[in-house]
Amino acid sequence: MSRTPEEIVRASLEKHGSGREAVMEILTDVNRELGCIPEEAIIATASAVGVSNAEIYSVVSFYSFFSIKPRGRHIVRLCSTISCVMSGSAEVLEAVRDDLGIREGETTSDGRITLETTSCIGLCDQAPAMLVNDEPHTRLTPETARAIIAGLE
Amino acid sequence: MSAGQLDTLGQEGLLSLYPERTRISVGMATCGLATGAQAVYDRLSQEIERTGCDVVLSKTGCLGFCQKEPIIDLFIPGKPRLTFVEMSPESAVEFIGAIAAGRVPTDGLLCRHDQELLLDDVFRDYCSEGEELTGVPLYTDVPFFAKQMKIALRNCGLVDPGSIEEYVARSGYSALHTVLSGTSPAELIEEVKLSGLRGRGGGGFPTGLKWEFTRRTEAEDRFIVCNADEGDPGAYMDRSILEGDPHSVIEGMIIGGYAIGASTGFIYCRTEYPLAIQRLEVALEQARLHGFLGDDIFGSGFSFDIRIREGSGAFVCGEETSLMHSIEGVSPEPGNRPPFPSESGLWEKPTNINNVETWSNIPPIALKGGKWYSAIGTEKSKGTKVFSLVGKVTNTGLVEVPMGITLREIIYDIGGGIPDDREFKAVQTGGPSGGCIPASLLDLPVDYERLAEAGSIMGSGGMVVMDEDTCIVDIAKYFLEFTNDESCGKCTSCRDGSDLMLAILTRITSGEGRPEDIDFLLELGEAVMDASQCGLGQTLPNPVLSTIKYFRDEYSAHIERAECPAHVCKPLIVYRIDPEACTGCTLCARNCSMSAIRGEPRKLHVIDTGRCTKCGVCYDVCKFNAVILE
Ligand SMILES: Cc1cc2nc3c(=O)[nH]c(=O)nc-3n(C[C@H](O)[C@H](O)[C@H](O)COP(=O)(O)O)c2cc1C
Repeated sequence: MSRTPEEIVRASLEKHGSGREAVMEILTDVNRELGCIPEEAIIATASAVGVSNAEIYSVVSFYSFFSIKPRGRHIVRLCSTISCVMSGSAEVLEAVRDDLGIREGETTSDGRITLETTSCIGLCDQAPAMLVNDEPHTRLTPETARAIIAGLE
Repeated sequence: MSAGQLDTLGQEGLLSLYPERTRISVGMATCGLATGAQAVYDRLSQEIERTGCDVVLSKTGCLGFCQKEPIIDLFIPGKPRLTFVEMSPESAVEFIGAIAAGRVPTDGLLCRHDQELLLDDVFRDYCSEGEELTGVPLYTDVPFFAKQMKIALRNCGLVDPGSIEEYVARSGYSALHTVLSGTSPAELIEEVKLSGLRGRGGGGFPTGLKWEFTRRTEAEDRFIVCNADEGDPGAYMDRSILEGDPHSVIEGMIIGGYAIGASTGFIYCRTEYPLAIQRLEVALEQARLHGFLGDDIFGSGFSFDIRIREGSGAFVCGEETSLMHSIEGVSPEPGNRPPFPSESGLWEKPTNINNVETWSNIPPIALKGGKWYSAIGTEKSKGTKVFSLVGKVTNTGLVEVPMGITLREIIYDIGGGIPDDREFKAVQTGGPSGGCIPASLLDLPVDYERLAEAGSIMGSGGMVVMDEDTCIVDIAKYFLEFTNDESCGKCTSCRDGSDLMLAILTRITSGEGRPEDIDFLLELGEAVMDASQCGLGQTLPNPVLSTIKYFRDEYSAHIERAECPAHVCKPLIVYRIDPEACTGCTLCARNCSMSAIRGEPRKLHVIDTGRCTKCGVCYDVCKFNAVILE
């Protein structure tokens, strides 16, 4: 059984304490486990730390790796930075979009994959690059990108 | 930990770096792993087992030649260290086969190292007499390495980042030991000032001076921070240092903590770098275990610990005030300066923030002295700088060079020039706060002042090389899109100014530019710079201003003649078929997904410009160069 948002927040509070400075760590824990930060987690964090829900909400919305909406089991983040663009990331993006039938920021209807573009991920030496969850893939072509994505459960 | 214990630790490290058996190390930073280093490692391991040969296998970080990953090194006692590139699981089989048969493998062999320089100027010689392998090029003769000088990257690609012993064997933690056995914080700060080291995170502020300011502020406690939020497009040196040599940053921070009088340090690392975070966690645990972190370090009475904080995908969090807000758990908009962090930073305590590369330069400076460091570089820019060489350049990778080296030496001698016989057009330095430097300035010596005079900045060290097929207006637009996206929206000038500049650039690249647009961009740029609060807004016009300065003609071509000289801006290009060259082979028509090409076999084909989406497939497939781009 997976843990509820409240349970994750509670466990995280035990590790990091309930000071204001624990906020990022709690949110990171929730985001990592659930792939998003649901409203219940925001409320639980706000009341534990003693600030308003709005304040926690504004922190969550600032970071592109945090999401309030549920996301797919896998998050594909294709780098859209200059060195990747110069090496053909646009074609790769188009191929992936076509294959999955979704656009950036969307999730496939079976909940398998969320597609995002991201700022530089530091893999410029082997552009174009993407992160699938935590895992880097480089020197992509439309074909290799399609194959990698097809291989995700 | 005592001096004797440090020595013992170093001895253990020497044994694991240079055992009395053959050793193979595999480069396993992200660049290696992304190209299959794990599979190479696994196959080497299987083959060693299968053949039963007496070989130790270990892991290391990135040697810098990322283009040629996976890279492995072979250490045979008495012989030079050998570096092999572009390995694969298949070549790993032959590799071990050769070793098992008592031969030196040759496939993929790039160079030999006859000796290794240790931090305290001691050389370790590898070869016994008669074992020089003179037929193999020397490391220092390989063009990619010849002009490099490694200080910040001194251990990357040699030590196992998971072994504190190997770090100590390379003089690691001896700077800390020396400092804590009798150097006063004031003396240490003097030494860092003398070195001339300036911040490697972008601003280039003198490091020693910043330390002094922070130390001088009266307070019960102070903090230090390592900025590992590396977000500049095209820059990845901080990732590589953290993945390949985390202890160099940790040792630098402990020394800094002592000089400044801080009890806690934070490493703020972006979540996009999971491997760096993981290796830092391991290294911190080891440092605690051996008493380099914690209470009463080396019995000096000085106590210090380091914690990791993760960013979560916000570029502006690399700006120091924003970064501190992020650590505090509040909404991370940048704050006002002054007060500077040295007066009031984290939780309103004096705080000293330095970049990863800045910290990794500290142990060598503390060990060898400020004078040694200041002998390297130019008048006002001392030491070395790590650059990430990416884009349209033959050898991509991380290069560490003395300040004052010219752009031409970096791009041509080290980088091997521009691939595919294309012409060099410009190099972008300094990321979204920087600018584009044209071919006429290739002989510019690289330091903080010269780059600024040229209208760019050093930044964190990203160098994106562009060839003639790059449209300069499109590049400016790209950077504006980036900053527009990353602007936190707090200052109107930054938020709306970047919107407006972007709208103008979009108009120009769509062929709808107006004659007054160039001057308007210049005016707007000045206004945004003046009115924005943090570095993001103050520098975001730079890519536009510098490209107008050097490539005004290219802007004009877009506006006045609706032409994109690099043939990049789609609305401004047309594909046409050259009647002279077309053989009527039908290949283009068959490949056109829009059915925009008509023509019968063996007769001239014609592109219907109304239907054409300018995807360029016809251009790519034509075997007779009959498709022309105008
Ligand atoms: C928008 C923006 C982003 C920045 N990003 C980084 C960064 O990713 N890494 C970094 O070290 N400095 C970054 N800086 C510079 C920091 O504010 C700060 O000057 C630096 O960390 C100080 O360290 P140094 O003196 O060692 O360079 C950024 C500045 C701005 C304005």
